Amino acid sequence: MSASRKSLLALVPVVLVAPPAHAATYLTVEQAQALMFPGETLTPAFRPLSNADVAAIRKASGVSPLSRQLKAWRSARGGWLIVDQVVGKHEFITFAVALDASGAVRSVEIMDYRESYGDQVRNPKWRAQFAGKRNGAALQLDKDIKNISGATLSCRHVIDGVKRLLATYAIVLAG
Amino acid sequence: MLSSLPDKLVTRCQPWLGTFVEISVAQADMGAVEPAFRAIAHIHACMSFHSADSDLARLRSVRPGETVAVDEETVLVLRMAIALHDATEGLFDVAVGRALVRSRFLPREGITHLSRYTGTTADIEIIDDRHVRCKKRLLIDLGGIAKGHAVDRAVAALQAGGVRAGLVNAGGDLRAFGMRDWQVQLRDADDVVRHGLALRDCAMASSANLHDRRRVQGVQLSPHIGRDGAPSLVDHRVTVLAERCVIADAMTKVAMVDADLADRILATHNGYVLRPSMTREAA
Repeated sequence: MSASRKSLLALVPVVLVAPPAHAATYLTVEQAQALMFPGETLTPAFRPLSNADVAAIRKASGVSPLSRQLKAWRSARGGWLIVDQVVGKHEFITFAVALDASGAVRSVEIMDYRESYGDQVRNPKWRAQFAGKRNGAALQLDKDIKNISGATLSCRHVIDGVKRLLATYAIVLAG
Repeated sequence: MLSSLPDKLVTRCQPWLGTFVEISVAQADMGAVEPAFRAIAHIHACMSFHSADSDLARLRSVRPGETVAVDEETVLVLRMAIALHDATEGLFDVAVGRALVRSRFLPREGITHLSRYTGTTADIEIIDDRHVRCKKRLLIDLGGIAKGHAVDRAVAALQAGGVRAGLVNAGGDLRAFGMRDWQVQLRDADDVVRHGLALRDCAMASSANLHDRRRVQGVQLSPHIGRDGAPSLVDHRVTVLAERCVIADAMTKVAMVDADLADRILATHNGYVLRPSMTREAA
Protein backbone atom coordinates (compact mmCIF):
# COMPACT_ATOMS: atom_id res chain seq x y z
CA MET A 1 0.00 0.00 0.00
CA SER A 2 1.48 3.33 -1.06
CA ALA A 3 1.86 6.26 1.29
CA SER A 4 -0.86 8.21 -0.47
CA ARG A 5 -3.30 5.33 -0.24
CA LYS A 6 -2.47 5.00 3.42
CA SER A 7 -3.26 8.62 4.06
CA LEU A 8 -6.73 8.27 2.58
CA LEU A 9 -7.14 5.08 4.53
CA ALA A 10 -6.42 6.75 7.85
CA LEU A 11 -9.98 5.60 8.03
CA VAL A 12 -10.11 1.97 8.97
CA PRO A 13 -13.62 0.80 8.21
CA VAL A 14 -15.57 -0.44 11.17
CA VAL A 15 -18.65 -2.57 11.32
CA LEU A 16 -21.68 -0.78 12.66
CA VAL A 17 -24.92 -1.95 14.11
CA ALA A 18 -27.46 -0.90 11.50
CA PRO A 19 -29.57 1.97 12.76
CA PRO A 20 -33.31 1.57 12.14
CA ALA A 21 -33.36 4.53 9.80
CA HIS A 22 -31.64 7.72 8.85
CA ALA A 23 -32.96 10.67 10.81
CA ALA A 24 -31.65 14.20 10.85
CA THR A 25 -32.80 17.50 12.30
CA TYR A 26 -31.24 20.47 10.55
CA LEU A 27 -33.31 23.45 11.63
CA THR A 28 -36.06 24.22 14.08
CA VAL A 29 -38.84 26.58 12.99
CA GLU A 30 -37.13 29.43 14.89
CA GLN A 31 -33.80 28.72 13.23
CA ALA A 32 -35.40 28.55 9.78
CA GLN A 33 -37.06 31.90 10.41
CA ALA A 34 -33.83 33.57 11.48
CA LEU A 35 -31.88 32.07 8.59
CA MET A 36 -34.38 32.70 5.80
CA PHE A 37 -35.62 36.13 6.93
CA PRO A 38 -32.66 37.57 8.83
CA GLY A 39 -33.56 40.60 10.87
CA GLU A 40 -37.19 40.57 9.73
CA THR A 41 -40.22 40.23 11.94
CA LEU A 42 -42.47 37.34 10.97
CA THR A 43 -46.14 37.30 11.88
CA PRO A 44 -47.94 33.96 12.04
CA ALA A 45 -50.67 33.72 9.42
CA PHE A 46 -51.77 30.12 9.87
CA ARG A 47 -55.01 29.23 8.18
CA PRO A 48 -57.09 26.16 7.48
CA LEU A 49 -57.44 25.00 3.87
CA SER A 50 -61.03 24.53 2.73
CA ASN A 51 -62.16 21.65 0.54
CA ALA A 52 -62.25 24.08 -2.37
CA ASP A 53 -58.64 25.21 -1.61
CA VAL A 54 -57.42 21.63 -1.50
CA ALA A 55 -59.15 20.79 -4.81
CA ALA A 56 -57.73 23.92 -6.47
CA ILE A 57 -54.20 23.22 -5.16
CA ARG A 58 -54.38 19.64 -6.40
CA LYS A 59 -55.61 20.80 -9.78
CA ALA A 60 -52.90 23.46 -10.14
CA SER A 61 -49.93 21.42 -8.86
CA GLY A 62 -50.95 17.80 -9.33
CA VAL A 63 -50.20 17.16 -5.64
CA SER A 64 -52.59 17.07 -2.69
CA PRO A 65 -51.71 18.94 0.51
CA LEU A 66 -50.91 16.57 3.38
CA SER A 67 -52.18 18.90 6.05
CA ARG A 68 -55.36 20.97 6.18
CA GLN A 69 -53.52 23.59 8.25
CA LEU A 70 -51.29 25.95 6.27
CA LYS A 71 -48.30 26.97 8.42
CA ALA A 72 -47.35 30.35 6.98
CA TRP A 73 -45.71 33.49 8.36
CA ARG A 74 -45.77 36.90 6.74
CA SER A 75 -42.64 39.02 6.80
CA ALA A 76 -42.75 42.76 7.41
CA ARG A 77 -41.55 43.30 3.82
CA GLY A 78 -44.31 41.20 2.28
CA GLY A 79 -42.46 37.88 1.94
CA TRP A 80 -43.76 34.55 3.18
CA LEU A 81 -42.29 31.64 5.07
CA ILE A 82 -44.16 28.35 4.72
CA VAL A 83 -43.30 25.21 6.67
CA ASP A 84 -44.70 21.97 5.34
CA GLN A 85 -44.09 18.25 5.03
CA VAL A 86 -43.81 15.73 2.24
CA VAL A 87 -43.90 11.96 2.41
CA GLY A 88 -41.78 10.11 -0.08
CA LYS A 89 -41.51 6.41 -0.70
CA HIS A 90 -39.46 5.90 2.43
CA GLU A 91 -39.22 9.25 4.15
CA PHE A 92 -40.95 12.12 5.94
CA ILE A 93 -39.42 15.46 5.21
CA THR A 94 -40.22 18.79 6.86
CA PHE A 95 -39.09 21.70 4.75
CA ALA A 96 -39.36 25.49 4.69
CA VAL A 97 -39.88 27.69 1.65
CA ALA A 98 -39.19 31.43 1.66
CA LEU A 99 -41.11 33.43 -0.93
CA ASP A 100 -40.39 37.06 -1.76
CA ALA A 101 -43.14 39.67 -1.95
CA SER A 102 -43.85 38.71 -5.58
CA GLY A 103 -44.31 35.05 -4.65
CA ALA A 104 -41.03 33.84 -6.17
CA VAL A 105 -39.02 31.19 -4.33
CA ARG A 106 -36.12 32.79 -2.47
CA SER A 107 -34.81 29.71 -0.70
CA VAL A 108 -35.70 26.18 0.32
CA GLU A 109 -34.29 24.55 3.45
CA ILE A 110 -34.77 20.99 4.63
CA MET A 111 -35.68 21.18 8.34
CA ASP A 112 -35.81 17.53 9.14
CA TYR A 113 -35.57 14.21 7.45
CA ARG A 114 -36.90 10.92 8.72
CA GLU A 115 -36.30 7.86 6.69
CA SER A 116 -38.55 4.93 7.41
CA TYR A 117 -39.41 1.59 6.00
CA GLY A 118 -42.91 0.16 5.78
CA ASP A 119 -44.22 -1.05 9.10
CA GLN A 120 -41.79 1.01 11.14
CA VAL A 121 -43.90 4.06 10.40
CA ARG A 122 -46.94 2.53 12.03
CA ASN A 123 -45.01 1.08 14.96
CA PRO A 124 -45.55 3.38 17.99
CA LYS A 125 -42.27 2.28 19.59
CA TRP A 126 -40.35 3.26 16.51
CA ARG A 127 -42.13 6.60 16.33
CA ALA A 128 -41.59 7.26 20.02
CA GLN A 129 -37.82 7.57 19.52
CA PHE A 130 -38.46 10.84 17.72
CA ALA A 131 -40.91 12.23 20.27
CA GLY A 132 -39.89 15.61 21.61
CA LYS A 133 -37.22 16.06 18.95
CA ARG A 134 -39.29 18.26 16.71
CA ASN A 135 -40.11 21.85 17.51
CA GLY A 136 -37.75 23.68 19.77
CA ALA A 137 -35.43 20.75 20.38
CA ALA A 138 -31.84 21.86 20.62
CA LEU A 139 -29.71 20.91 17.66
CA GLN A 140 -27.55 17.95 18.56
CA LEU A 141 -26.02 17.63 15.20
CA ASP A 142 -22.99 15.64 16.18
CA LYS A 143 -25.41 12.98 17.31
CA ASP A 144 -28.27 13.56 14.92
CA ILE A 145 -26.61 14.04 11.59
CA LYS A 146 -25.22 10.92 10.01
CA ASN A 147 -23.12 11.43 6.93
CA ILE A 148 -24.19 8.74 4.52
CA SER A 149 -22.72 7.59 1.25
CA GLY A 150 -24.75 5.17 -0.86
CA ALA A 151 -27.19 5.20 -3.74
CA THR A 152 -28.28 8.80 -4.41
CA LEU A 153 -31.56 9.72 -2.76
CA SER A 154 -34.00 11.63 -4.91
CA CYS A 155 -35.36 14.98 -3.71
CA ARG A 156 -38.25 14.78 -6.19
CA HIS A 157 -40.92 14.76 -3.47
CA VAL A 158 -39.56 18.00 -2.01
CA ILE A 159 -39.52 19.64 -5.45
CA ASP A 160 -43.14 18.52 -5.93
CA GLY A 161 -43.88 19.92 -2.46
CA VAL A 162 -42.39 23.31 -3.41
CA LYS A 163 -44.58 23.37 -6.55
CA ARG A 164 -47.60 22.58 -4.40
CA LEU A 165 -46.74 25.47 -2.03
CA LEU A 166 -46.42 27.84 -4.99
CA ALA A 167 -49.94 26.82 -6.00
CA THR A 168 -51.05 27.22 -2.39
CA TYR A 169 -49.57 30.72 -2.31
CA ALA A 170 -51.37 31.70 -5.53
CA ILE A 171 -54.70 30.28 -4.38
CA VAL A 172 -54.71 31.06 -0.67
CA LEU A 173 -52.14 33.74 0.24
CA ALA A 174 -51.67 36.07 -2.74
CA GLY A 175 -53.83 39.12 -3.20
CA MET B 1 -6.69 18.28 16.23
CA LEU B 2 -10.19 18.05 17.44
CA SER B 3 -9.42 19.93 20.62
CA SER B 4 -8.52 23.05 18.62
CA LEU B 5 -12.04 23.01 17.18
CA PRO B 6 -14.28 22.88 20.18
CA ASP B 7 -17.07 24.56 18.29
CA LYS B 8 -20.28 22.62 17.80
CA LEU B 9 -21.04 21.38 14.30
CA VAL B 10 -24.09 22.50 12.43
CA THR B 11 -25.49 21.08 9.21
CA ARG B 12 -27.77 22.66 6.67
CA CYS B 13 -29.54 20.80 3.91
CA GLN B 14 -31.03 22.03 0.64
CA PRO B 15 -32.42 20.23 -2.41
CA TRP B 16 -30.11 20.65 -5.41
CA LEU B 17 -28.96 18.51 -8.34
CA GLY B 18 -31.86 16.13 -7.81
CA THR B 19 -30.75 15.20 -4.33
CA PHE B 20 -30.19 16.49 -0.80
CA VAL B 21 -27.05 18.54 -0.28
CA GLU B 22 -25.76 18.76 3.29
CA ILE B 23 -23.07 21.18 4.40
CA SER B 24 -21.56 20.74 7.87
CA VAL B 25 -19.28 23.28 9.52
CA ALA B 26 -18.53 24.62 12.98
CA GLN B 27 -21.26 26.94 14.20
CA ALA B 28 -18.89 29.91 14.07
CA ASP B 29 -18.52 29.32 10.31
CA MET B 30 -22.25 29.28 9.49
CA GLY B 31 -21.92 32.54 7.54
CA ALA B 32 -19.75 30.80 4.94
CA VAL B 33 -22.39 28.18 4.15
CA GLU B 34 -24.59 30.48 2.07
CA PRO B 35 -21.92 31.16 -0.62
CA ALA B 36 -21.21 27.41 -0.75
CA PHE B 37 -24.88 26.66 -1.47
CA ARG B 38 -24.84 29.43 -4.07
CA ALA B 39 -21.92 27.72 -5.82
CA ILE B 40 -23.95 24.51 -5.94
CA ALA B 41 -27.06 26.33 -7.15
CA HIS B 42 -25.00 27.84 -9.97
CA ILE B 43 -23.80 24.42 -11.13
CA HIS B 44 -27.37 23.11 -10.86
CA ALA B 45 -28.58 25.94 -13.13
CA CYS B 46 -25.84 25.36 -15.73
CA MET B 47 -25.90 21.58 -15.82
CA SER B 48 -29.49 20.51 -15.25
CA PHE B 49 -30.74 18.06 -17.87
CA HIS B 50 -34.34 19.01 -17.09
CA SER B 51 -34.22 22.79 -17.17
CA ALA B 52 -34.95 24.33 -20.59
CA ASP B 53 -32.42 27.17 -20.10
CA SER B 54 -29.41 25.18 -18.89
CA ASP B 55 -26.19 24.92 -20.89
CA LEU B 56 -27.05 21.29 -21.60
CA ALA B 57 -30.44 22.21 -23.05
CA ARG B 58 -28.77 24.76 -25.32
CA LEU B 59 -26.08 22.30 -26.40
CA ARG B 60 -28.70 19.79 -27.53
CA SER B 61 -30.87 22.36 -29.30
CA VAL B 62 -28.28 23.60 -31.82
CA ARG B 63 -27.14 22.07 -35.09
CA PRO B 64 -23.98 19.95 -35.09
CA GLY B 65 -20.88 22.09 -35.47
CA GLU B 66 -22.54 25.23 -34.13
CA THR B 67 -20.57 27.00 -31.38
CA VAL B 68 -22.42 27.46 -28.08
CA ALA B 69 -21.45 29.93 -25.36
CA VAL B 70 -21.60 28.18 -21.98
CA ASP B 71 -20.55 28.82 -18.41
CA GLU B 72 -16.91 28.27 -17.42
CA GLU B 73 -18.03 25.64 -14.92
CA THR B 74 -19.69 23.65 -17.71
CA VAL B 75 -16.47 23.77 -19.72
CA LEU B 76 -14.50 22.53 -16.70
CA VAL B 77 -16.82 19.56 -16.25
CA LEU B 78 -16.87 18.75 -19.97
CA ARG B 79 -13.05 18.89 -20.08
CA MET B 80 -12.90 16.39 -17.24
CA ALA B 81 -15.54 14.23 -18.95
CA ILE B 82 -13.51 14.17 -22.17
CA ALA B 83 -10.31 13.23 -20.29
CA LEU B 84 -12.12 10.40 -18.48
CA HIS B 85 -13.80 9.22 -21.70
CA ASP B 86 -10.31 8.96 -23.19
CA ALA B 87 -8.75 7.28 -20.16
CA THR B 88 -11.55 4.68 -19.99
CA GLU B 89 -11.63 4.05 -23.75
CA GLY B 90 -15.18 5.29 -23.94
CA LEU B 91 -16.60 3.56 -20.87
CA PHE B 92 -17.19 6.86 -19.08
CA ASP B 93 -19.47 8.69 -21.50
CA VAL B 94 -21.60 11.74 -20.70
CA ALA B 95 -23.60 11.11 -23.89
CA VAL B 96 -25.71 8.69 -21.84
CA GLY B 97 -28.66 11.05 -22.16
CA ARG B 98 -30.09 9.14 -25.09
CA ALA B 99 -30.01 5.78 -23.29
CA LEU B 100 -31.46 7.32 -20.11
CA VAL B 101 -34.28 9.09 -21.96
CA ARG B 102 -35.02 5.87 -23.82
CA SER B 103 -35.19 3.92 -20.55
CA ARG B 104 -37.20 6.77 -18.99
CA PHE B 105 -34.68 7.56 -16.26
CA LEU B 106 -34.62 11.05 -17.79
CA PRO B 107 -37.62 12.97 -19.15
CA ARG B 108 -38.17 13.10 -22.88
CA GLU B 109 -39.78 16.54 -22.77
CA GLY B 110 -38.91 18.62 -25.80
CA ILE B 111 -36.62 15.98 -27.32
CA THR B 112 -37.81 14.66 -30.66
CA HIS B 113 -36.13 12.07 -32.90
CA LEU B 114 -34.11 10.43 -30.15
CA SER B 115 -32.34 8.21 -32.68
CA ARG B 116 -30.66 11.29 -34.20
CA TYR B 117 -28.53 11.83 -31.08
CA THR B 118 -25.72 9.48 -32.06
CA GLY B 119 -22.69 11.38 -30.74
CA THR B 120 -20.40 10.33 -27.88
CA THR B 121 -18.22 12.36 -25.52
CA ALA B 122 -15.51 12.21 -28.24
CA ASP B 123 -17.71 14.47 -30.38
CA ILE B 124 -17.56 17.29 -27.83
CA GLU B 125 -15.03 19.93 -28.81
CA ILE B 126 -13.88 22.54 -26.29
CA ILE B 127 -13.09 25.76 -28.15
CA ASP B 128 -12.06 27.88 -25.17
CA ASP B 129 -12.99 28.40 -21.52
CA ARG B 130 -16.50 29.55 -22.47
CA HIS B 131 -17.30 27.93 -25.81
CA VAL B 132 -18.12 24.41 -26.88
CA ARG B 133 -19.34 22.71 -30.03
CA CYS B 134 -20.52 19.21 -30.74
CA LYS B 135 -19.51 17.54 -33.99
CA LYS B 136 -22.57 15.30 -33.88
CA ARG B 137 -25.92 15.57 -32.14
CA LEU B 138 -25.67 14.15 -28.65
CA LEU B 139 -27.67 14.20 -25.44
CA ILE B 140 -25.27 15.13 -22.67
CA ASP B 141 -26.24 14.15 -19.14
CA LEU B 142 -23.81 15.18 -16.40
CA GLY B 143 -25.61 13.23 -13.68
CA GLY B 144 -22.51 11.07 -13.24
CA ILE B 145 -20.05 13.89 -12.62
CA ALA B 146 -21.72 17.26 -11.88
CA LYS B 147 -22.58 16.45 -8.25
CA GLY B 148 -18.93 15.69 -7.55
CA HIS B 149 -17.84 18.92 -9.21
CA ALA B 150 -20.47 20.86 -7.25
CA VAL B 151 -19.13 19.38 -4.01
CA ASP B 152 -15.59 20.47 -4.93
CA ARG B 153 -16.84 23.97 -5.73
CA ALA B 154 -18.73 24.20 -2.45
CA VAL B 155 -15.60 23.12 -0.57
CA ALA B 156 -13.61 25.83 -2.39
CA ALA B 157 -16.27 28.41 -1.45
CA LEU B 158 -16.12 27.35 2.21
CA GLN B 159 -12.32 27.53 2.22
CA ALA B 160 -12.42 30.95 0.55
CA GLY B 161 -14.74 32.00 3.37
CA GLY B 162 -12.10 31.06 5.93
CA VAL B 163 -13.63 27.74 7.03
CA ARG B 164 -10.91 25.42 8.31
CA ALA B 165 -12.87 22.18 8.41
CA GLY B 166 -16.15 21.03 6.90
CA LEU B 167 -18.01 18.40 4.99
CA VAL B 168 -20.19 18.70 1.89
CA ASN B 169 -22.40 15.74 1.00
CA ALA B 170 -24.45 15.80 -2.22
CA GLY B 171 -26.57 12.68 -1.89
CA GLY B 172 -23.65 10.42 -1.03
CA ASP B 173 -20.96 12.16 -3.09
CA LEU B 174 -19.05 13.90 -0.36
CA ARG B 175 -15.81 15.62 0.54
CA ALA B 176 -14.31 16.37 3.91
CA PHE B 177 -11.61 18.98 4.41
CA GLY B 178 -9.54 20.19 7.32
CA MET B 179 -7.91 18.48 10.26
CA ARG B 180 -10.89 16.64 11.57
CA ASP B 181 -12.31 13.15 11.24
CA TRP B 182 -15.84 12.75 9.90
CA GLN B 183 -17.84 9.63 10.55
CA VAL B 184 -19.42 8.41 7.34
CA GLN B 185 -21.82 5.49 7.08
CA LEU B 186 -22.01 3.41 3.95
CA ARG B 187 -25.50 2.52 2.82
CA ASP B 188 -25.39 -0.78 0.93
CA ALA B 189 -27.36 -1.44 -2.25
CA ASP B 190 -30.15 -3.09 -0.19
CA ASP B 191 -30.48 0.16 1.83
CA VAL B 192 -28.91 -1.32 4.98
CA VAL B 193 -25.97 0.41 6.69
CA ARG B 194 -23.38 -2.20 7.68
CA HIS B 195 -20.10 -0.29 7.63
CA GLY B 196 -18.82 3.11 8.48
CA LEU B 197 -15.51 4.84 8.43
CA ALA B 198 -13.80 8.00 9.48
CA LEU B 199 -12.80 10.31 6.65
CA ARG B 200 -10.27 13.09 6.80
CA ASP B 201 -9.42 15.52 4.04
CA CYS B 202 -10.63 13.46 1.09
CA ALA B 203 -13.62 12.79 -1.13
CA MET B 204 -15.82 9.72 -1.37
CA ALA B 205 -18.63 8.76 -3.70
CA SER B 206 -20.91 5.75 -3.80
CA SER B 207 -23.32 4.36 -6.34
CA ALA B 208 -25.81 1.53 -6.33
CA ASN B 209 -28.78 0.67 -8.50
CA LEU B 210 -30.33 -2.46 -6.96
CA HIS B 211 -33.43 -0.45 -6.00
CA ASP B 212 -33.37 1.87 -8.99
CA ARG B 213 -34.26 -0.27 -11.97
CA ARG B 214 -36.94 -0.47 -14.57
CA ARG B 215 -38.16 -3.30 -16.70
CA VAL B 216 -38.92 -2.29 -20.27
CA GLN B 217 -40.18 -5.01 -22.63
CA GLY B 218 -38.80 -7.68 -20.35
CA VAL B 219 -35.32 -6.13 -20.15
CA GLN B 220 -33.93 -4.85 -16.84
CA LEU B 221 -32.52 -1.32 -17.08
CA SER B 222 -30.61 0.85 -14.63
CA PRO B 223 -29.58 4.52 -14.65
CA HIS B 224 -25.94 3.44 -15.10
CA ILE B 225 -24.67 2.54 -18.54
CA GLY B 226 -21.70 0.24 -19.10
CA ARG B 227 -19.80 -0.89 -22.16
CA ASP B 228 -21.55 -0.81 -25.53
CA GLY B 229 -24.56 0.92 -24.03
CA ALA B 230 -25.56 -2.06 -21.89
CA PRO B 231 -27.09 -1.16 -18.50
CA SER B 232 -24.83 -1.79 -15.48
CA LEU B 233 -26.78 -4.08 -13.20
CA VAL B 234 -24.69 -4.24 -10.05
CA ASP B 235 -26.25 -5.71 -6.93
CA HIS B 236 -23.78 -4.14 -4.50
CA ARG B 237 -22.69 -0.66 -3.51
CA VAL B 238 -19.61 0.73 -5.24
CA THR B 239 -17.56 3.25 -3.23
CA VAL B 240 -14.59 5.24 -4.46
CA LEU B 241 -12.18 7.53 -2.59
CA ALA B 242 -10.15 10.29 -4.19
CA GLU B 243 -8.72 13.71 -3.45
CA ARG B 244 -11.42 15.46 -5.46
CA CYS B 245 -15.09 14.59 -5.46
CA VAL B 246 -15.49 15.05 -9.23
CA ILE B 247 -13.10 12.12 -9.75
CA ALA B 248 -14.70 9.99 -7.04
CA ASP B 249 -18.18 10.63 -8.49
CA ALA B 250 -17.21 9.79 -12.08
CA MET B 251 -15.16 6.77 -11.12
CA THR B 252 -18.06 5.04 -9.31
CA LYS B 253 -19.67 4.51 -12.73
CA VAL B 254 -16.42 3.07 -14.12
CA ALA B 255 -15.84 0.92 -11.02
CA MET B 256 -19.31 -0.61 -11.39
CA VAL B 257 -18.15 -2.13 -14.67
CA ASP B 258 -14.39 -2.46 -14.23
CA ALA B 259 -12.95 -1.82 -10.78
CA ASP B 260 -9.36 -2.52 -11.91
CA LEU B 261 -9.59 0.10 -14.65
CA ALA B 262 -11.05 2.57 -12.13
CA ASP B 263 -8.17 1.83 -9.75
CA ARG B 264 -5.57 2.45 -12.47
CA ILE B 265 -7.08 5.87 -13.22
CA LEU B 266 -7.62 6.68 -9.55
CA ALA B 267 -3.94 5.94 -8.83
CA THR B 268 -3.12 9.20 -10.64
CA HIS B 269 -5.66 11.08 -8.49
CA ASN B 270 -4.54 9.76 -5.11
CA GLY B 271 -7.59 7.54 -4.92
CA TYR B 272 -8.85 3.95 -5.06
CA VAL B 273 -11.93 1.78 -5.12
CA LEU B 274 -13.00 0.67 -1.64
CA ARG B 275 -13.00 -3.12 -1.94
CA PRO B 276 -15.06 -5.44 0.26
CA SER B 277 -11.80 -6.98 1.52
CA MET B 278 -10.77 -3.62 3.00
CA THR B 279 -13.90 -3.51 5.10
CA ARG B 280 -13.53 -7.11 6.17
CA GLU B 281 -10.01 -6.47 7.44
CA ALA B 282 -11.42 -4.37 10.22
CA ALA B 283 -14.39 -6.56 11.07
